[in-house]
Amino acid sequence: MSVPSEHMLILASILFAVGAAGFFLRRNVIVVLMCIELMLNAANLSFLAASRMHSLKQGALGPALEGPIFAIFVIVIAAVEAAVGLALVIALYRNRQTVNLEEVSDLKD
Amino acid sequence: MTLAVPPQIPQGSAQLDWLWWIPLLPLAASAVCGILHFLTLRQREAAHPRRKVDHRHGHDGHGDHGHGEHDEHAHEAHHDAHADHGHAKVSAGIGALASVVAVLAMAAALALSIKGFLELKGLDAGARVLRSTSWDWIDAGSFSIDIAMHLDPLSSVMTLVVTGIGSLIFLYASGYMKGDAGYAKFFAYLSLFAFSMLMLVLSSSMLGLFVGWEGVGLCSYLLIGFWYEKSFAAEAGQKAFVMNRIGDACFLIGTFLLVRVFGSLDMAAITAGVPGALVNGLATPELFAAGLLLFGGACGKSAQIPLFTWLPDAMAGPTPVSALIHAATMVTAGVYLVVRLNPLFAASPQLLAIIGVIAALTAFIAGSTALVQRDIKKVLAYSTVSQLGFMFLGLASGAWAAAVFHLVTHAFFKALLFLGAGSVIHGMHEEQDMHKMGGLKKYMPATFVTFVCGAAALSGLPLMSGFFSKDEILAHTFAHGGLYTALWIVGIVTAAMTAYYTWRMVALTFFGEERFDKNKVHPHESPAVMTLPLMVLAVLSVVGGLLGLPIVFHAPHLLAEWLEPVTRSGTKILFDAQGKHELSHALEWALLGAGALVALVFAHRGFHIHKQGVAFDQGFEKRWPRTAAFLGDAWTIDTKYTRWITQPIKLIAFVIAVVVDQFAIDGLVNGVGALAKSSGQAWRRQADGSIATYGLWMGAFTALIAFLFLFADILRP
Amino acid sequence: MANALFYLMALVSVACALGVVLAKNPIQCVLSLLGCFFALATIYLLAGFQFLAAVQILVYAGAIMVLFLFVIMLLNLGAPGALDKTDAKMFSRPNAFLVVVIAGLLLVMGALAVKKSGVVVAAKEMPEHGIDTVNGLAGEMFGRYLLPFEAVSLLLLATAVAVVVLAKRERGNSRRRKMGGEL
Repeated sequence: MSVPSEHMLILASILFAVGAAGFFLRRNVIVVLMCIELMLNAANLSFLAASRMHSLKQGALGPALEGPIFAIFVIVIAAVEAAVGLALVIALYRNRQTVNLEEVSDLKD
Repeated sequence: MTLAVPPQIPQGSAQLDWLWWIPLLPLAASAVCGILHFLTLRQREAAHPRRKVDHRHGHDGHGDHGHGEHDEHAHEAHHDAHADHGHAKVSAGIGALASVVAVLAMAAALALSIKGFLELKGLDAGARVLRSTSWDWIDAGSFSIDIAMHLDPLSSVMTLVVTGIGSLIFLYASGYMKGDAGYAKFFAYLSLFAFSMLMLVLSSSMLGLFVGWEGVGLCSYLLIGFWYEKSFAAEAGQKAFVMNRIGDACFLIGTFLLVRVFGSLDMAAITAGVPGALVNGLATPELFAAGLLLFGGACGKSAQIPLFTWLPDAMAGPTPVSALIHAATMVTAGVYLVVRLNPLFAASPQLLAIIGVIAALTAFIAGSTALVQRDIKKVLAYSTVSQLGFMFLGLASGAWAAAVFHLVTHAFFKALLFLGAGSVIHGMHEEQDMHKMGGLKKYMPATFVTFVCGAAALSGLPLMSGFFSKDEILAHTFAHGGLYTALWIVGIVTAAMTAYYTWRMVALTFFGEERFDKNKVHPHESPAVMTLPLMVLAVLSVVGGLLGLPIVFHAPHLLAEWLEPVTRSGTKILFDAQGKHELSHALEWALLGAGALVALVFAHRGFHIHKQGVAFDQGFEKRWPRTAAFLGDAWTIDTKYTRWITQPIKLIAFVIAVVVDQFAIDGLVNGVGALAKSSGQAWRRQADGSIATYGLWMGAFTALIAFLFLFADILRP
Repeated sequence: MANALFYLMALVSVACALGVVLAKNPIQCVLSLLGCFFALATIYLLAGFQFLAAVQILVYAGAIMVLFLFVIMLLNLGAPGALDKTDAKMFSRPNAFLVVVIAGLLLVMGALAVKKSGVVVAAKEMPEHGIDTVNGLAGEMFGRYLLPFEAVSLLLLATAVAVVVLAKRERGNSRRRKMGGEL
């Protein structure tokens, strides 16, 4: 594939923007968590794009493996975060009977 | 233009710290009297605690009060606008000590003044200076001011006058103010005034003089408005203070100019340095301006045109205040200033001419106003203004010693007249309108006799003290020639008016039918503590002329000889510039005779016309009402001031207070607060507890930070 | 052809991402996200990262999304009418306009950042077994990145404990409530 890596980066920023919009806009907690996953994926994509860029460039000494390594760590952290977040959702639902973020506004002034 | 070499500040011939006690004794007395005042208040509070109910009816036993009034009222309304003090007679309690303390302090100061005088007498005429330096007040590079007491012939005369007449007046006041609620406070203020006045005359530098200058202004304000519950008195005090202040501003600017020229504020240094600062024997424009401004300050203090209208209003204060401050001491501070700095004034003939014109004008206007006054104190007030005009006329003619002579004699007889008037008012139960008096000579013999002595001196009847001093001034004025001849004519006319209104006053008060209701008013003689000072002053008024007998009597002019070291420099400058103004003996006898004649004739007329009663006055008012009103209102000068100066200033002040201060400044300040508050309220709505909102703000600013990180070098200039 | 496939998959991923944001039913959101992940995995494959593609499908699509699905089913949020009471409006209060603006700005920034960083010319050929060979990854992971690896495994342990604690039913609390009945 000879798609330039920059295009992958642009795709990553599009996905990130969409994920950010959903994160700010949606009321359902679970959907918000999913948008977070989306953003993390966008970050992953950009890591890999950079790695590809540096592996295939003029004068590269070998594959730039930092990209994939980081991407693996990101996936692990995303999993962790999703797990904990969903556990919180369950606890929240148990106490408030709701997954609507607007109804959980105890921090209100 | 500064001098090439700043003049040296002279060292005194001895270090004399006891000089300091002269002003400090009254200051200590003032503090003690203040403490006594507070103790009195507490004593009263303990005896009769304030109750909120019903002020009108009596509370439990007021056995120790003379007229059965209440303490609570003692501070409140003194209803009678003419009254010298309120109805409520209140026991002074521990405050009675105040008069003792004050009188003793003044007597001690007098003793020290006499000691200083004797010590000076023991010195050679050329070296008659006693100087006591205490400490450096300001030491800024080349400019330094010492605090020092400087006793030379002039200051010794002034201290003797202040402490001598002050002691007599304090003694008088201890009787006069008896029963007043603020007895101790009065003596505290009086002693503070004495301190300030003594500082004024004893200070070696203009700055120390200014401290005293301001101090007497302050005490004048406090004492004029002593019965501040009467709004008229409070306003009069304020008026006096503000007019003084205008003079003080001129004084300060003049002082600044002097510093600029001479580099020092020490008066001895300045007077020594003047001859060196002259150009062709005349003053530079800077020196002229300095002299003019200092004279402006003197106008404020000594009630010359245009700053004189405060003095008649100042009669709202107690009579001892009028006697001390507005006859004998404070108002003479201006004269003292000019004599002290006589070389400066002598160097500008135009300035002397200006002073002469203003002085003559003042004397004339005030004299004419006194002709139609009904209030006995107002007659004396305008008379004071008029006599001060005489003193300045003497200064304008270069007759420094004559002016001081008139100052001294005027202090004697005017204080006497004021105290006598106070005795009359006291005896007539606070009545001040002469049209309601009459025939008092048989009720108050001692007051009558002493008052007549004072009146004789004031009107210039031959061989009285006033005769010699006034005629000396007029002789010098006449001898000066040129413009001064016109001023002499004004002076002679004013002397005629003086004689007339003085004896009119005597006639209306002590002679003729009794124009008061004998059932309501019981005139009585005053107690000894009040009549004794009257007698002393009467003696002084009669024999005071011995201080300055004219040359043609073939007797030495004691005062002029005594003051010669001080006046020498100014006199020399005048001689060098204009030559000596000499009068032939024949001319001098003629002038003496003319003065005596004028005084006798007009005194007789004044006395005779008004001996019968108020018929002439009433007739005059009926036939020439506008003239009477014009004269009575001091030629409507004060009314014009009120209309053209005070009202516009009040309007401007109102505009500033309401528009600028309330709207603009308060609006701005409160607006800032309101802005903070409202923006806080607005931002508060963002904290809605919604995680989405919080997340949005976090995201927004994180994006901003990311932007800055990525594109910072684009933004960098 | 590979290029065309890349752009197609890119399109699919964006469409699915939009689907996540705009779908009403949470199940739909989950499925959209799955689609997005699959598209991304394809892209990874095309770009020469086979191992990551496999990991992506195994972990992300196979574990995390399944977890999401479990929780949604557990709370019975996918039932018809389930969200009518809890989620009457789909979008929350933040000004949608403001959000779109911010998202747009992020996008623009990303693009500009890419442009700014300059073009790195791809000169070499793609290696035979792709960029992330298992050998290479293993060498890096257990060599240079051993510490983060161990830390992350610790984190996973902690997470397991935390999830159990958080989701544990409190004693005596919810026995009276019926899960999935009353919402």
